Amino acid sequence: MRTYILRRLLQIVPTVLMITLVVFLMMQSIPGDPVVALLGDAYTQEDAEKVRQTYGLDKPVIVQYLIWLGKLVQGDWGRSILTGRAVLDDVWVRLPVTLELIIVSMFVALAIALPAAIIGALRQNTWADYTATSAAMIGVSIPEFFIGVLLLLVFSIGMGGLLPSSGWVYLPGTCPLMVCGTSFWGNMQHVLMPAFALGVGRAAILTRLLRASMLEVIRTEYVTTARAKGLGERPVVFKHALKNALIPTVTVMGLQVGFLIGGAIVVETLFAMPGLGTFGIDAIIARDYQQVQGFALITALAFVFINLIVDLTYTFLDPRIRYA
Amino acid sequence: MRVRRVLLSTAVITVVALLVASAASAQTPKRGGTLRVSYGNDIANLDFHTAPGYEMMWVAMNVGCGLVNITTDGKFVGDVAESWQVSADHLNYTFKLKKAIFHDGTPVDAAAVKFSIDRLKDPATKSGMRTFYDPVHSVEVLDPQTVQVRLKHPYAFFLHMLAAYRTGLILYSPTATQKYSVDDRKQGKPEAVVGCGPFRLVEWVKGKHLVMDRFDKYFLPGLPILDRVVIRTIKDPVTEMAAFKAGEVDFIASFSPEHVDTLKAQVPNAQFLTGKETTPMLAAMKVTVPKDGKPMSKDRAPHPIFGDLRVRKAVGCYGIDRNEIVKIAFKGQATAWVGMNPPGTLDTVYVNHMCPYDPAKARALLTQAGYGPSKPLTFELMADTEKSVFNVIATVIKEQMARIGVTANIRLVDKVSWMQTTLNDGPWDMYVEDLLSLITLDSNAYLSNSTSTWSHPRHNDTRVDEFYARYARETDPAKRKAIAKELVEFMADNMYWNNISGSPFFMVTQPWVKGYTYNAEFEVHWSTVWLDK
Amino acid sequence: MANGSDSLGVEQRPIRGGSVQESELPVGIALPGRVERSQSPLAIGVRRLAKSTTALVGAGIVVALVMVALFADVIAPHSPVVSDQTRTFATPSWDHPLGTDQLGRDMLSRIIHGSRISLAVGVSSVILALVLGVPLGMVAGYYGGRVDSVIMRLMDLILAFPIYLLAIILMIIFTPTAGLIGTIKVVGAIAIVRIPIYARLVRGSVLSIKEKEYIEACRAVGVRDPLILLRHVLPNCLAPIIVTTTLGIATSIIVEATLSFLGLGTQPPTPSWGWDLKANVSFIQANAWLSLFPGLAIFVTVLGFNLFGDGLRDALDPRLK
Repeated sequence: MRTYILRRLLQIVPTVLMITLVVFLMMQSIPGDPVVALLGDAYTQEDAEKVRQTYGLDKPVIVQYLIWLGKLVQGDWGRSILTGRAVLDDVWVRLPVTLELIIVSMFVALAIALPAAIIGALRQNTWADYTATSAAMIGVSIPEFFIGVLLLLVFSIGMGGLLPSSGWVYLPGTCPLMVCGTSFWGNMQHVLMPAFALGVGRAAILTRLLRASMLEVIRTEYVTTARAKGLGERPVVFKHALKNALIPTVTVMGLQVGFLIGGAIVVETLFAMPGLGTFGIDAIIARDYQQVQGFALITALAFVFINLIVDLTYTFLDPRIRYA
Repeated sequence: MRVRRVLLSTAVITVVALLVASAASAQTPKRGGTLRVSYGNDIANLDFHTAPGYEMMWVAMNVGCGLVNITTDGKFVGDVAESWQVSADHLNYTFKLKKAIFHDGTPVDAAAVKFSIDRLKDPATKSGMRTFYDPVHSVEVLDPQTVQVRLKHPYAFFLHMLAAYRTGLILYSPTATQKYSVDDRKQGKPEAVVGCGPFRLVEWVKGKHLVMDRFDKYFLPGLPILDRVVIRTIKDPVTEMAAFKAGEVDFIASFSPEHVDTLKAQVPNAQFLTGKETTPMLAAMKVTVPKDGKPMSKDRAPHPIFGDLRVRKAVGCYGIDRNEIVKIAFKGQATAWVGMNPPGTLDTVYVNHMCPYDPAKARALLTQAGYGPSKPLTFELMADTEKSVFNVIATVIKEQMARIGVTANIRLVDKVSWMQTTLNDGPWDMYVEDLLSLITLDSNAYLSNSTSTWSHPRHNDTRVDEFYARYARETDPAKRKAIAKELVEFMADNMYWNNISGSPFFMVTQPWVKGYTYNAEFEVHWSTVWLDK
Repeated sequence: MANGSDSLGVEQRPIRGGSVQESELPVGIALPGRVERSQSPLAIGVRRLAKSTTALVGAGIVVALVMVALFADVIAPHSPVVSDQTRTFATPSWDHPLGTDQLGRDMLSRIIHGSRISLAVGVSSVILALVLGVPLGMVAGYYGGRVDSVIMRLMDLILAFPIYLLAIILMIIFTPTAGLIGTIKVVGAIAIVRIPIYARLVRGSVLSIKEKEYIEACRAVGVRDPLILLRHVLPNCLAPIIVTTTLGIATSIIVEATLSFLGLGTQPPTPSWGWDLKANVSFIQANAWLSLFPGLAIFVTVLGFNLFGDGLRDALDPRLK
């Protein structure tokens, strides 16, 4: 087991390297560079050349990448050409927002999926089941941004602005800024709509998966045996079916994170949240190479680590899994 | 009897006293509070001398101070300059400074002024304002409180240039500037971004907020009234409107004109601040291309389509229905305009009669130029995604072109790509954009003379440069107006600059926001603002 | 690594249930044993399909959509791109059942024509991903070893990117444009992102079938590899491919709409639901229907494909019911 974990941790390095290299190469393929935006009104070709030299943008692409890598191993994530800010500082500020968004979205998804799946599985082919399944089907067919727009319409524009349409209030204790208005309630208000927009689609998938897995388990031999032994329905369902249905669910949840990170970009843009999603998009559009690298790095790391955790949880939940 | 008279007088006195008191309290600003401002775009960075954009400049006007400011009726008032004198030959400007200090405690003295102006002129700083400081020959420190700027030649707009967006002089603390790096300033480290304005920078987190607090030792006693100003960026107008309606935002710094009606309906007692447009909305046409295909080459050849004046006039002058565009794109909130400088700019000239909407004339000119059903004219119309109104205008122009048998293909690009293409002499035919606000006609020199990088159409007509030079050196206002008229008519006649309308500017404030003096994009000062709640 | 393991080193476990995105999990839907049935799986499947209400409803929607897209020119009352400057922001009326937008264009016509883009992009991107991904998966699964390693590494690389992120970056590199070229760019971007799903799917199936005796027999007899792949391996992957494809179309349509919403999809004046949604969201207070109807159109389309795909899966995999 330990060797497996070690092996996986080592595998992270080449994977992350590959991802960041690919992103770097892709950014270089985008027409334009940050110098134009940086100089703005002062743009002249001579000045532009000088600036490019200062920031090493005239060097060959591979060399630039290696320089970035060299700084990275020393803990320096680079500095934005446009804003002068250290990339790590920005990532640090933005990370809590996106992290919280993703975690709350997963909670929302589970909170919807679990009851729906259990009802569906227990009362298969009844009205309740059909309702739950249809709701899941609807949820998975609406793009996140549309759910977001509808939520905005109802709760921010309508209802006298019950929920705020944009911005962020940090949870007490998580704010890395100097000026913070931390408040639990404020934070909840800001995270609710985006998390819902993001979570509903995931809930749909989870519901269907959980329900199907539970149905499958319910039919298996040992549950029938358990029932034959005279145990009531409830304990049968909750102890055996649910636990085993959780295994594929955990896998799926882990894989959902990829979609969540992608969906976070859209949702954060819609709700003007200061998270990694808006950070990435703004950086890509502004061709701020350093920031994009930082964004790619943190995204890749998150993705890879979560995969690892999912696989480990997998073993924990089902001892039948063997690792080569 | 006597008692009654006493009672009556007391009553009268009391009433009068109460009236006076209430009148006085209505005028007395309530000290303190936080003004929550929303921007539609991000601040680029906080190095005031080099960063581009309104958003940065408006911060600079509050965190920094300059020598002079300009009022709405074009008069100058001293900022940190107490008074100034101009020599008879218009070459020497002598400023006497008030007693003031920077946020780091160092004095705002003549040496500090010299430092900032020298810095702006230094090519190594790469400031966008450098060209405007070209007329400055040198800056002399006469005594600690007196500084003299010597010009190379008379420059009628020197004070305008010092006063307002986008060239307004912002004084930096020499100590702080020398101690900290340009990256420190760009990222907004409070100890590095040191000005002499009413507010001092507390924190800037791009994408989250910018916070500035009252500077207690500001040189105008009693100001600023607010404790704090917090600026947020909300790019989407719907989100911005929702935030405003919910009372989360007090002051919208630049509101999208297309949604003014919607917001008015939603928040009836909001205050909408606007005036004559100071920013032009253009449908610029490229006049020359590099002869050898190398961008920015000095050797120019006429643009294959718009190098021909007849085509420029057909398409840009007679073929565009400016009134229709104003109606659809701006819901009537803008002014159809042909003159190079918009209605709100100093020395503006009305020349709409030179380019009336005349499809027949447009067709005739096109036929003359060789286009017709057998050889239809097709060109590419570029618009960037910074403002959705560009695309709307482009679409309307496309329609109008169809009416005269011309095909315009719309190409939407993001702002950075647009800048790349236009600044680097890249291939483009026509674009729709609203560039920058112009305080005087002279402000447009660097955008439309024959040599500047920023002159996108890249015409090589040196007569334009001559006009500008004469205009800038003419010290008599009446004569200047005449030159302005000549220049604007010349530009319209040659279609080197194709204005469609003014680009309207709106600021929106909550009813409890008092004390703000509106002066378009030029001067944004929150020092006199107070919150009546 | 034992039979059916993927590069994560985890033994493949068949996962049933779930939908759309989840069917594109990097685990194969192995369907061992079906080939040995005497009755044609297709016949069984079709029969089951006809009985399923979800599939029928879904199919109905899809067919209706295809009709609308094909006959858009005939059905639409007005042109979707011509603006009537005098009638901007018109409320829904007999002449303009869904009103007009800021430029006076008829919303109903725009939505009808928008179906073309959505369907075209949805279907082509999936087909392109299929055409590229299936052979990759087959080769990887069949030959194994080095080839397998390299191909799966590449697939992992693409999968490592959150779906929208990669599509966004690709679109910015390609530079969004209008018209046919612009649409092709969107198709390409989405297809690239979807390739790994098909590759892994097919590879999983191949791995589970590879060891079967009759494949060994074929090899022993001397049948060439490509023929084996085509004749024996491919038909067994067909069912999951069909299901994944149908559901994949739904996902592609959502991705296309999201890209358009971000301004990175097909550019105007080509009518696109995502673009119209975004462009009209600003006017949502006064003219909500302008952005709600495109959103509804997206929803109904995606729902149709999801229902149909679900029905297909239920029909083709007996173990669900």
